[in-house]
Amino acid sequence: MEKAGFVNVQIGRPVDTFGGAGGESNARLFEVFGYAFLAYKPE
Amino acid sequence: MSGQTPVDPVALRDEVRAKYQEVAVDPHGEFHFHTGRPLAKRLGYDDTVVSALPDAAIESFAGVGNPFSLQSLNAGERVVDIGSGGGFDVFIAAQQVGPEGQVVGIDMTEEMLDKSRRTAADMELSHVEFRDGLIEDMPVEDGWADVVISNGVINLCADKALVFDEISRVLKPGGRLQFADIANGAPVPESAVSDIDLWTA
Repeated sequence: MEKAGFVNVQIGRPVDTFGGAGGESNARLFEVFGYAFLAYKPE
Repeated sequence: MSGQTPVDPVALRDEVRAKYQEVAVDPHGEFHFHTGRPLAKRLGYDDTVVSALPDAAIESFAGVGNPFSLQSLNAGERVVDIGSGGGFDVFIAAQQVGPEGQVVGIDMTEEMLDKSRRTAADMELSHVEFRDGLIEDMPVEDGWADVVISNGVINLCADKALVFDEISRVLKPGGRLQFADIANGAPVPESAVSDIDLWTA
């Protein structure tokens, strides 16, 4: 994101996106979680 | 999430399209990810807003987070949703920006586009539009958008740098990108990264 020029990058708390789903084992293996991101294009 | 990955972008795109065709036509099928209303609840969407939507607007939802959790949209804003799927986040965005705003969803899967367009017509949303296109080459003019949103899509693109450059192109100066996606805390072996089947399985 920053390489593309975005600034003020914020990242939200992790969400257990795959818990209880078929992909949970792979998600646990690689510590995969969902995140919200917020960033701005400079003026 | 950075740079180009060692997979064939076209083959990856075909694999992703095939997977989301399934989600469009058989949203209650077996997938490695959650879908629909249970997923929206898991990801923290506002119950009141979600419960007001028709089933068709949410049953093919397959996001990984909540792109509105850090920042809501403002009335009148122009929004692009990249990889809009069945349209769930577009419909949430449409409510937040109101009739003075505009929301454009972009997707490459015909079945998803058919579904989201039908739902928008049924909901009589005149400020919503769905366009056929790739997020690496969006059918949106330079600097059109106040906000770009996305949910669980950028991770499925082989060249993330290209995607972020394209997002920057369609955003106006001072515009914002708010999206949800997955990230791994433990390293993924090169052999797994190169295995295209694992991207959508």
